[in-house]
Amino acid sequence: MSDANTPNLSHPSRRQVLAAGLAAAGGALLAGCAGSGPAAPAGSDAGSDTGIKVVASFYVMGDFAKKVGGDLVSVTDLVPAGTEPHDWEPSPRDIEDLKAADLFVYNGAGMEHWVEDVVSDLDTAKVVEASKGIELLVGEHDHDHDHDDHDHDHDDHDHDDHDHDDHDHDDHDHDDHDHHDHDHDGHDPHVWLAPANAKMELAAIRDGLAAVDPEHTEQFDAAYEEHARAFDELDQEFRTALEPLPNKTIVVSHAAFGYLCDAYGLTQRAITGIDAEGEPDARTMAEIIDLVKESGIKTIFTEELVSPKVAQAIADATGASCQVLNPIEGLTQEQESAGEDYLSLMRQNLKALVAALG
Amino acid sequence: MPEMLHYAFMQRALAAGLVIGIAVPLVGVTVVLKRLSMIGDALGHASLAGVAAGLIAGLNPVAGAVAACVTSAFCIEGIRRAMPARADLAVAVIMAAGIGLAGVLSGFVPNSATFSSFLFGSIVTVGDAELAVVVGVGAAVILFCALLARELFWVALDERAARLAGVRTGLVNAAFVLVCALTISIASRTVGSLIVSSMMTVPVAAALAVARSWRQSVVVACAVGAVSSLAGLTLSFYAGLRPGGAIVLVEVGILLLLLLVRGIMRRLAHPAREDAAAR
Repeated sequence: MSDANTPNLSHPSRRQVLAAGLAAAGGALLAGCAGSGPAAPAGSDAGSDTGIKVVASFYVMGDFAKKVGGDLVSVTDLVPAGTEPHDWEPSPRDIEDLKAADLFVYNGAGMEHWVEDVVSDLDTAKVVEASKGIELLVGEHDHDHDHDDHDHDHDDHDHDDHDHDDHDHDDHDHDDHDHHDHDHDGHDPHVWLAPANAKMELAAIRDGLAAVDPEHTEQFDAAYEEHARAFDELDQEFRTALEPLPNKTIVVSHAAFGYLCDAYGLTQRAITGIDAEGEPDARTMAEIIDLVKESGIKTIFTEELVSPKVAQAIADATGASCQVLNPIEGLTQEQESAGEDYLSLMRQNLKALVAALG
Repeated sequence: MPEMLHYAFMQRALAAGLVIGIAVPLVGVTVVLKRLSMIGDALGHASLAGVAAGLIAGLNPVAGAVAACVTSAFCIEGIRRAMPARADLAVAVIMAAGIGLAGVLSGFVPNSATFSSFLFGSIVTVGDAELAVVVGVGAAVILFCALLARELFWVALDERAARLAGVRTGLVNAAFVLVCALTISIASRTVGSLIVSSMMTVPVAAALAVARSWRQSVVVACAVGAVSSLAGLTLSFYAGLRPGGAIVLVEVGILLLLLLVRGIMRRLAHPAREDAAAR
């Protein structure tokens, strides 16, 4: 029985129960796929038992942990390559891996909707919430909010709205109440997309590692310093490349780029909000088409891990093209084998932004 | 020209909505009378499992969806025949199987983006090619229902009587199941399964509330379907509502309105009897 070793979960989800049942039944249909499928324990490097075992919630957290930990850690990402983390939830096996890990790194701010249940069972000293201490933006996911953005960007709509200064960070706070997206607290979780925040997450991970393995604090410090410099350079590259560009508005399929936009004076206009796959309403579609046409936007940004259908429909209607802007929530299998990392993917993003806004 | 018609996507959405709004309730009348109201949901979930299986096997996912849909439809028909009084149970069983299989298989799909692009059809993102498919399927469904109107009527009402009337029930049932499965698998991918499964039942419920004959109920169901599609899309455009939900709510609104009208008419026609019944 393969589920004999599953931990006694208090609330196994339906999917987990199904998965366990399936494993027990040894479904012949799936037996062939199981070896290569993402349900196999993510990341084979979990097996190497040297060093500190770090479990990261999804790709970018794992990448940061590898950057700080170097050879001293072996990192496993919970969300497998090719999967959109918003949709993912842990299997009993993942929970077991988590309990066996020396350190669990997650982003927080609502990115991992399943994390509260999991963390409550873990020793707090072995858990790093990387976004802790970073000033969070209210998620720009709600439709009302999107409309406000739009009105601000283009004063062609005459109905008056209260938030004319949507560019200012602190202005986001006053309309918390009308954001009902998947985040518990209505915050935009995608903090790592601004290099300055990424640096802070790196620091949080360094502190976590140093707490678990104090003997190697110096190595972690050195690695942190090195990568923090790289992140600063990245930040500078973004600033110098984006500042002179004439256009400041990007149209994205999923409102993940609030921190990036905030850091470099851009505005994002999201098509479907945070859930990325919900159905857009006809008015939003029409508004975005108008926006794209009126301000001569050449590019609609989509993501690899999300269906491009809606973005494609808008691109078709406006003559714009669809390009990838990566929220670095996960890698595709090709990117994984090509050895991409946060820095290289952010540089690709920069290139795409420059091409779109230039 | 009203503002919403300036947009090509709205023109396509309205055209697709009109076709779906007529063709799907047409199938729905027979579906409801055969006590298979939930078949839209059941087959919708089965087609998800088909999409996932297609992607895993590296085949065309649409073909997978159609195959899964047709297979499940025949399974429903099989269970229904084995347990004639429990047609609703057959649908529930297949729905459960579809959800379970889709849930498990989706864990093995290599790239979730390709999977989700098959799950989330939306009427406002229908492209030219998809519109052509919807119109083609819609025309085929309307033609089928028109040609077999008499046979479908008998089969839907009473299979034994149908056989006595000389209808080849096995053949008609099989053909109907096939049409039903094709409609659901193809239409739900392009316009969203919510619209398709609701169109199958709610306009029919509205029709059954007021119609006095088979022919009337067919006409009313199609009219309600078409009107709710167009009204729902208009609402979506001007009020910023999600189109699938808006269309369903208009359907339900019309149903309630018709029930209310029927209640008032009955009361006016037979005040004494209604009073007696109330007591």
